[in-house]
Amino acid sequence: MNAPGSSILGPPLGEPVEVAPEGTTWDRVRKDLTSYGTALIYARLQNLQPKLPKGDDLRKLLGRDWSRYLDLAHPDVRNRYAASRVLLKYAAGAVLRGDPDGLELAYVPTGRPYLRGCDQIDISLSHTEDLILVGLTTRGLIGVDAERTDRQMYGSGLGRHVCTPYELVTLAALPEEQRNASLVRLWTLKEAYSKAIGQGMQFRFTEFGFGPDGKPVRVQRPDGTTGSGDEWAFRTFVLDSGYCVSAAVYDAGFGTVLDTDITTMLDQDCVEAINTALDAEPG
Amino acid sequence: MSPDSLGTLDGFLRLVRDDLGLVTDLAGPEAAGCDLTDLPGWDSVNLLRLVTLLEQESGRAMPVGRILEARTLGEIYALVEDLR
Repeated sequence: MNAPGSSILGPPLGEPVEVAPEGTTWDRVRKDLTSYGTALIYARLQNLQPKLPKGDDLRKLLGRDWSRYLDLAHPDVRNRYAASRVLLKYAAGAVLRGDPDGLELAYVPTGRPYLRGCDQIDISLSHTEDLILVGLTTRGLIGVDAERTDRQMYGSGLGRHVCTPYELVTLAALPEEQRNASLVRLWTLKEAYSKAIGQGMQFRFTEFGFGPDGKPVRVQRPDGTTGSGDEWAFRTFVLDSGYCVSAAVYDAGFGTVLDTDITTMLDQDCVEAINTALDAEPG
Repeated sequence: MSPDSLGTLDGFLRLVRDDLGLVTDLAGPEAAGCDLTDLPGWDSVNLLRLVTLLEQESGRAMPVGRILEARTLGEIYALVEDLR
């Protein structure tokens, strides 16, 4: 998989940082965000779960997600839902230097999450098995995805629904032992890209592709020709725990933001509207 | 898979449980009405694995776009029924 810095296209991106709710690794996350404009964060469910708030504290932290949390019947699904939202809020709270309880997650109709009122920072969330992955960027858009590298995907007929014709040929030309991990890499890149553009799987994965590992990564058309420019950065990392992690970052030209304090990141129109309303109040 | 796993809702749910390897203690209408996001182990890879299984079982191409819009296993089964 391409190591950090091996792809020279698009904005730079640091390696994913493993975090705990209370820990010093948040300094590294803040540093990544100010240096690269993007930070990738992950936690293992088994490590995160014992530290999750409970009862009323969890209700406060989940905010509007609390009712969805209560609707989930299966304990495993419910716990993972809570853990992923808690990690996302801790991450956003850390980089914004704000109270996680005070941040509100909202969702567009396709399910893409965003921080209400903080539209200068984009977020993405992925979870698989016991890994929870969060991406944050001030550059524009971000999508992240993770899968186990040994998840069986190649040879089960999935390729026809996942790959472009060019990708199928490219995969088949690889040594057999590399094909599955390569398909997992393609899958996570496609998931990350489709999350970044807010389409999910409604944008058929057979309609766009990515080139083989070891070269700068761009979106490709089904015939393998280039379909994106330097405004997109794609990176794939393999964690020691055996997870393949991909990120897609769209650089809208905002550059990096040195001050990510929540008072700086609030939507300016929203702030002005509130100030106007406050000024208009009698007395 | 049995010769006609898709002939009944129970057969369809068995296919989901046994062939996809999803662990669920639900059965019948309760499982069919369960939101997909509430199924332990359910994810987008398993959704496409299910599409592949359904195509193998039925010998027909599945309407992937419509299956992606389904919220429950029952809705997916209804789409499969429409093709029979």
